[in-house]
Amino acid sequence: MTDQAIIDCRGVKKWFGDFQALRGIDLQVTKGEVVVIIGPSGSGKSTFIRCINRLEVHQEGQIFVDRIELTNDVRNIEAIRKDVGMVFQSFNLFPHLTIMQNITLAPIWVKKQSKSEAEAYGRELLERVGIPEQADKYPGQLSGGQQQRVAIARALAMQPQIMLFDEPTSALDPEMVKEVLDAMKELAKEGMTMIVVTHEMGFAREVADRVLFFDYGQLVEAGTPEHFFTNPQHDRTKLFLSQIL
Amino acid sequence: MTTAIQRPTRPPFYRDVTVLKWVFQIAFLIGIVTVFWLLGTFSIANLAKQNLAVSWDFMARPVGFQVAEGFTTFPESGFEALLVGVTNMLRVTISGILAATILGIIIGVSRLSHNWLVNKLATVYIETIRNIPLLVQIVFWGIVVSIIPDIVVDETSDGSLKSLFGLRLLPEGWIFASPKGFALPWFVPTDGRWQWVGFMIVGAVATRYVYRWRIRLQEAGTAEARAFLWSGGVLLAFAIVGTFAHPVMGIFGPVFGFVAAFFQNTPIIIFQIVLAGLAVGGAYYIIKKRLDELRTPAGLGKLTDDDWFRLVMAAVVALGLALFFLLQSGPVEAIVGQGTIFGQDIGFSQLFTGLENRFSFVGGAPFDFSLPAIDGRFNNYLPDAGHVITRAYFALWIGVVLYTAAFIGEAVRAGVLAVPRGQTEAGFAVGLRRSQLLRMIVLPQAFRIILPPVGNQYLNLAKNTSLGIAVAYPDIVQVGQTIFNQTGQTIPIVISWMAWYSFVSLTLSAIVNRWNKKLKLVER
Ligand SMILES: Nc1ncnc2c1ncn2[C@@H]1O[C@H](COP(=O)(O)OP(=O)(O)OP(=O)(O)O)[C@@H](O)[C@H]1O
Ligand SMILES: [Mg+2]
Repeated sequence: MTDQAIIDCRGVKKWFGDFQALRGIDLQVTKGEVVVIIGPSGSGKSTFIRCINRLEVHQEGQIFVDRIELTNDVRNIEAIRKDVGMVFQSFNLFPHLTIMQNITLAPIWVKKQSKSEAEAYGRELLERVGIPEQADKYPGQLSGGQQQRVAIARALAMQPQIMLFDEPTSALDPEMVKEVLDAMKELAKEGMTMIVVTHEMGFAREVADRVLFFDYGQLVEAGTPEHFFTNPQHDRTKLFLSQIL
Repeated sequence: MTTAIQRPTRPPFYRDVTVLKWVFQIAFLIGIVTVFWLLGTFSIANLAKQNLAVSWDFMARPVGFQVAEGFTTFPESGFEALLVGVTNMLRVTISGILAATILGIIIGVSRLSHNWLVNKLATVYIETIRNIPLLVQIVFWGIVVSIIPDIVVDETSDGSLKSLFGLRLLPEGWIFASPKGFALPWFVPTDGRWQWVGFMIVGAVATRYVYRWRIRLQEAGTAEARAFLWSGGVLLAFAIVGTFAHPVMGIFGPVFGFVAAFFQNTPIIIFQIVLAGLAVGGAYYIIKKRLDELRTPAGLGKLTDDDWFRLVMAAVVALGLALFFLLQSGPVEAIVGQGTIFGQDIGFSQLFTGLENRFSFVGGAPFDFSLPAIDGRFNNYLPDAGHVITRAYFALWIGVVLYTAAFIGEAVRAGVLAVPRGQTEAGFAVGLRRSQLLRMIVLPQAFRIILPPVGNQYLNLAKNTSLGIAVAYPDIVQVGQTIFNQTGQTIPIVISWMAWYSFVSLTLSAIVNRWNKKLKLVER
């Protein structure tokens, strides 16, 4: 199992000063798997997935992505970041660039693709997330839902093997949540490996292969959505689910 | 029971917002004009009582004083004296803005540095400099230079001059420091410099194309851009080749001569008509552009009072200017160079004649390398040898540069900090390197935030150069003061000052505003 794992975390620990945010996380994710992480606020969900593309630095344990270990080696970090796309709660589009430039920036400068090649693929991606007509606008001119779909397209433009989502729908108005979730479901169907932090239980139930429950920086419980919503084991899981369902 | 809907009736004029606005705007205008007119008449009357008629004659007359430094130290007329003051002011302003920008960026970045020592040094610098009045700092630097021991002419041994500061690293006599200021080796421009500058303008245009070409290649994916390296190389190549090949620019001499003759010989009425046409055309363009901006797909939007006011003002000013040009041939003659202004023979024709003379010069290096030299009798630097930085220039320059850099540093720091963290994270997440991230994501966004306050600092620097009077730096203020002490013509001098500083400020803000507009983020 471990040699097929595209993400392999062993005893990952992380401190902010003397506050321990991650208390030893072990997790293996296989190719094509969709993993949903749930848990109360402050439980370390964001911190954990941000460790996977080194936006945060873990202090103990090991993280392998596609068999490359995340260390201080810049070459490894760059290789892994090319392979891992990320979508943020607050979109984080580049406001001074057009939608097309947002999408093609990394392919052109990091992957050294030609502009025409990158733009052709960019148009294809915008088509896929359902906003082909917005290519020449600026992020400030788009709705939240549209911006988040651009953010997904921007991450996909690097043709990553893995996509990380950190509460991608939390900053959206309710009527825009669906369009973003649909784009993510589409992606899951196409076989993308995904780790999704979300409070959207409907999404978890429908798409997730596995649900993880985090609390106090620990992976408390893991299982199929079925298991989680019908037969949770731990008291903390039960309490959390009773509060949000 | 139904109450009748109250139909909007036209309010009485004294409650009508539109009427009130116009009345206030026009009353304000009249008020201002009246105040100035009254001030003018009173002072003229007052001066007349002292047998002093306001007159601009001093501009054409020889002045009886010498200017401490500048393109000439013996101005032939009041006008030329003021011109020396103007160029001296520009010298400090332009080099000061460049230096303050570079230093300010360094200070700002140091303030953001994680290196404790660098960070604290920058903080101390900013806190010290910002809290001491600039005037005090300028006087301080003047004193610092004046306590340097004077140059000793050592006649006992071999009669050679000793440079101070014991700069034994360099050959004796390369760098001097004395209470008079500093002198360094320098490339002293010779007559060929104009052709060389012309050559470099061509080079700059070429560099621009090379830069774009490299960026296109990068975008086409065929090569690494290295755009800065390439354009720097091209510019350097032009500079070196131009040092020898600059006489080819001599072909422009006859061209300029032709233009000069054109300005000199065309009947003045043609220029009058062209200028009047330009004024009207300009106003037409401005009005049309404004109306186009207000036009929506649904048709022309309703014009607000402000819009009307602007459009009417533009039309009135343009018509006024057109009439002025058509009725007054004198000013037009002065502008094209067929007549004189303040007794000075300046205008387009003279400008192009000057260029013709400078470009037709053939041969010779554009610059001579020259070492500083000392006039042994007066312990003074020879002005044409090497580069002399006088005490006054140094004190003023270092004062405004250090002072402005502190404020620019704070603006830079604030600008970089104002770029949200999420931008950096998103950049890293798509795989950008730190340098790419800075260049393509952080700096472009920070720059928009930094530009307006820094533009303000440029204006401050330009205006603060007038404090040079504390160390007797001969800028337009100091020269003007000397003139009115001699002639008693305060009003023309004060008008000249105001005109000059307004011109500089407006030019600077126009440049900054243009940039600002270009960089504005597109929002919904
Ligand atoms: N940069 C930081 N410095 C200090 N403490 C931090 C930092 N980032 C996160 N923390 C702390 O680490 C803990 C875990 O944070 P994290 O953002 O991972 O929680 P989360 O599970 O994503 O919560 P939420 O659902 O609110 O997003 C929190 O207690 C938070 O205060
Ligand atoms: Mg979070």
